[in-house]
Amino acid sequence: MTEVLVALIVAAPTAAGLAAWFADDRRAGWLAAGGFVIALAAGLALAVGVFVEGPLRAFGGQVVVDALGAYVLALVLAIAAIAVAGSPGHLAHEREAGLLRPHDAGRYYALLLWFAGGLAAVPLLDNLGLLWVGIEATTIVSALLVGFARTPAAIEAAWKYLILGSIGIGFALLGTLFLYASSVGVLGETSDALAWTRLAEIAPQLDPSLARLAFIFALAGYGTKAGLAPFHTWLPDAHSQAPSPISSLLSGAALAVALYAFARFHLVTAGTLGPAFSSTLLVVFGLLSLAVALPFIVAQGDLKRLLAYSSIEHLGLATLALGFGGHLALLGLTLHLFSHGLAKSTIFLAAGRLVAERGSRRIGRLGGSLARSPTDGRALVLGALVLAGLPPSGIFVAEIAILLGGVQTGWGLAAAAAAALLALAVAGLLFHVMQVSVGPPGSSADRSPASRRWALLLGVPLTAVVVAGLWTPSPLAAALDQVVIVLGGGRG
Amino acid sequence: MTLDPRTAAELVDACAAAIVVLGVGLAATRSIGRAIWLVAIQSVLTGVAAIGVGLATGSGHLVIGGLLAIGAKGLVVPFVLGSILRRSPVRRERHPLLGPRASLVAAVAIVFAASAAADGAFVGASVAVSRGLTAAIAAVLTGLLIIMTRRKALSLVVGLLVFENGIALTAFSLTYGMPLVVELGILFDLLIAVVVAWVYARRMLDVLGTTSTDQLRSLRG
Repeated sequence: MTEVLVALIVAAPTAAGLAAWFADDRRAGWLAAGGFVIALAAGLALAVGVFVEGPLRAFGGQVVVDALGAYVLALVLAIAAIAVAGSPGHLAHEREAGLLRPHDAGRYYALLLWFAGGLAAVPLLDNLGLLWVGIEATTIVSALLVGFARTPAAIEAAWKYLILGSIGIGFALLGTLFLYASSVGVLGETSDALAWTRLAEIAPQLDPSLARLAFIFALAGYGTKAGLAPFHTWLPDAHSQAPSPISSLLSGAALAVALYAFARFHLVTAGTLGPAFSSTLLVVFGLLSLAVALPFIVAQGDLKRLLAYSSIEHLGLATLALGFGGHLALLGLTLHLFSHGLAKSTIFLAAGRLVAERGSRRIGRLGGSLARSPTDGRALVLGALVLAGLPPSGIFVAEIAILLGGVQTGWGLAAAAAAALLALAVAGLLFHVMQVSVGPPGSSADRSPASRRWALLLGVPLTAVVVAGLWTPSPLAAALDQVVIVLGGGRG
Repeated sequence: MTLDPRTAAELVDACAAAIVVLGVGLAATRSIGRAIWLVAIQSVLTGVAAIGVGLATGSGHLVIGGLLAIGAKGLVVPFVLGSILRRSPVRRERHPLLGPRASLVAAVAIVFAASAAADGAFVGASVAVSRGLTAAIAAVLTGLLIIMTRRKALSLVVGLLVFENGIALTAFSLTYGMPLVVELGILFDLLIAVVVAWVYARRMLDVLGTTSTDQLRSLRG
């Protein structure tokens, strides 16, 4: 059964993508939706199975899904669902504006499905080498999506993403190699030597100097993919130039998958060297990302770049939480990944439609959006308040938990610095939101009212994030606890 | 077919030396066409060294990986890059951030640094590890040097390939390579990455009329 579900998660998007590539533009959307729904159902069934029965193994141990893997899988699929559902609206607008060539829609859906399928496959693999292959494959596929618009700016963003992403991820491959070299000495030359389940067991016997080197390279490599400063320079370009549903997937899911990758390295390294070494590096790079993102958030003039820098800030916070460790901070981290992922992917869709309607992405020219485009305007304001960490929302609770957790585990100073940086970012974000929502109306353009389906698409995830700050259903709380146990180095 | 360890060691030594020399040449040349030739030869030698180690140690996956790497990085990729070059008006790296002479000095400095680092570093596999590791570290750093100092799209791809050769050399110097399924995955990723680079180089030609990344400076802040 597990085998069938895993096969469906990977095969359904791959096959549907192939069909969409060759289909005409009208059928492509239906093919993509069909293929994705199959993967979504299989993935959610698999995740529920893991939370009820414990870790599942398949394909001779090449696939192992524990609570952390199941959680990341469910998160990726939920955000991909938002991206897939938001795509017809995006493509319709592009078609009206005459920006779509024949077959473009089919290719777009094919690449979107392959990107989503690749992201969903990564947390299933019990092999750090194949995990690298999966993440690099998603980088390459998404590079084609980032430059989909064929404008000079989009080509520049995609080119930067491809080159910087490939170098970054090359470092992650070196890190994987060093870990392999240290485990081959213990386990011999088997493919087991790259399985994180085995590596966690034998961590105390690994060569400490190789393990140290492995973690540094893995953090730099996957940190590039996660947008950690100072490896983040590609991110604002790629996330702002990509078609909006792709920005949703990049910011909400791809960053979380990269964080997942270095979390696995962190767990092994902590077993070899004790938690101090890798935790300190995580805290340093987390704080650095918060500090680097701040001025760009405060002084930002471009709406989509503002959202991209906010992603750097939030991934910095998540990395910080992983470094803090301890039950409270890790619980905050799991809640944060969910809340940020849903809120950011929704707000990117709203921003994309708003920008397309108004014909400008400058914050100064988007004034009065609450009155002119009520649906997108409201989603944007609500989403920005949530992202700023105002109560009640999942992000607010997560931030409090992470900061208090940091104080508990002896990182008081770092937690205080993070709190100060977060507070300043709130001020910057709120100022921009005021400008967009009630500021003077800028450039004028015809507006077409949003459909009810679109309002639901934006409203449901944002409501979920707000509710997550007030109440967690008990089965969900139990699931989050299992994820926290894995992140704390235990068996989930 | 097997190879006795001493012959294998000599073969790897020779390949490592040639790879280092080619790296210096790659850092110094301004002709993009020549750089594509040099990196193709470097990739073939990397594959040959892998096959040599594979035959000496009886690890079949290294031999298969080496053969595939020669096919992919020595033939397919240079062919693709050459076809972009023929259409592109940009044939030379006219204004690199580091001139040819400074690049040459930097490349030689990298070789000395790599050799010092490899001597002091790991105790791992036995066949000519130190030389292989010297070449590996030198190739990784030379690749980064090329990527950081060149401005033409094709030069950056060449730099990426040199960097990738360095990683492949590290892989079999340290551990006789990764498991075969991982090596296949890595090669597959590399091939599609080059295809995507090809797609974008063509779009740059169509939209911007050049493959000089100087034109790509609009996204800031």
